[in-house]
Amino acid sequence: MRSKAQLWTLAMIFGLAASIISSPAQISAKPPKSTPPQARSAHTDIATAKTMGMKSAPIEVEIFSDFQCPVCRQFYFGVTKQLIDEYVTSGKVYLVHHDFPLPIHAHSQEAAKWADAAAAIGRFQEVEDALYSKQDSWAASGRVDEAVAAALSATEMKRVRALVDSSEVGAAIQHDEELGKERNVNGTPSIFVTHKGQMMPLPAQGTTYTLLKQYLDYLLRN
Amino acid sequence: MADATAALPSQTEVRWPRQFLLAGRLILGAVFVYAAYTKIRSPWMLFAMSINSYQILPEWAVTYVARTLPWFEMALGLLLLTGLKVRWSASAASGLLIFFFAAMVRAYFKNMGIDCGCFGFGERLGPLTLARDASLLVLAITLATVAFILPRRQP
Repeated sequence: MRSKAQLWTLAMIFGLAASIISSPAQISAKPPKSTPPQARSAHTDIATAKTMGMKSAPIEVEIFSDFQCPVCRQFYFGVTKQLIDEYVTSGKVYLVHHDFPLPIHAHSQEAAKWADAAAAIGRFQEVEDALYSKQDSWAASGRVDEAVAAALSATEMKRVRALVDSSEVGAAIQHDEELGKERNVNGTPSIFVTHKGQMMPLPAQGTTYTLLKQYLDYLLRN
Repeated sequence: MADATAALPSQTEVRWPRQFLLAGRLILGAVFVYAAYTKIRSPWMLFAMSINSYQILPEWAVTYVARTLPWFEMALGLLLLTGLKVRWSASAASGLLIFFFAAMVRAYFKNMGIDCGCFGFGERLGPLTLARDASLLVLAITLATVAFILPRRQP
């Protein structure tokens, strides 16, 4: 026969188990902050140009990236592109790119400036693709502009070149960096998924497309 | 008859180890239940991503482990809390913690910069998480040893 203490422990455990089973999956994190209207500036247009899909999509996926980071390139080609094809184009996911150039990479700040300048003329996706495709080349030579030029026409390149060192571009990158620090981002890629007002940071290095797809499908079912 | 009685430890002799056993299994049991709870309350894919970050298992195994490990942790925690099968549960907890600790040390020294995945998500793997896991491992091994040394309680 079990002692009274053991019976009490069992009863408490069953109570705890019942509460776990009955409670919905809680995802912890602060809800995304909305920028107050008075704080909005020119960088908002650049920020918007670095998004894909409909803002009204049920899920928002935010990716903090560094263009010179090899894991970010791997993530871009292994996960992001499939995510765009299957979830962004179908209106299920709103994809947001945030710049988070790491100081350990010599040219990532410059690459972010070129990408954001391209965003200002509406050519972010093309430049993002070119920067990741030719990462080995410009990371070694430091000639970021050559990689960007391959993705743009001569006229577009001229416009982008004029914007690279502008304050708008600088402010857009700074805004992303501040947002990243606010969310304790300390490496790239860092991924945040928001669904029904709940934001969840994902373990980026373990995020394969298969697992992300299963997670997104789970969220869409709930 | 007199020799057999003398060979058994007295109640006073086993009191301290029994108190340690009780405190140890309650602490370890609570930790296991809490660790399981933080994983079970979230979709299993998130824990799968955490496991996958360690780059030890193939993806099919990651999925299997992510779906089953939290429930195994819960069962171990409950056994430890209730005091049922303490020898078995403390040994299993030790084995599990040895595996966790080895995986964490490997990831830390490979500078993988990943999350621990120990109690939910977003906790960076670092010296503190390693120290915590090492303490739990020492506790589990001591608990298992004491449980095997102590004579079984007579009904």
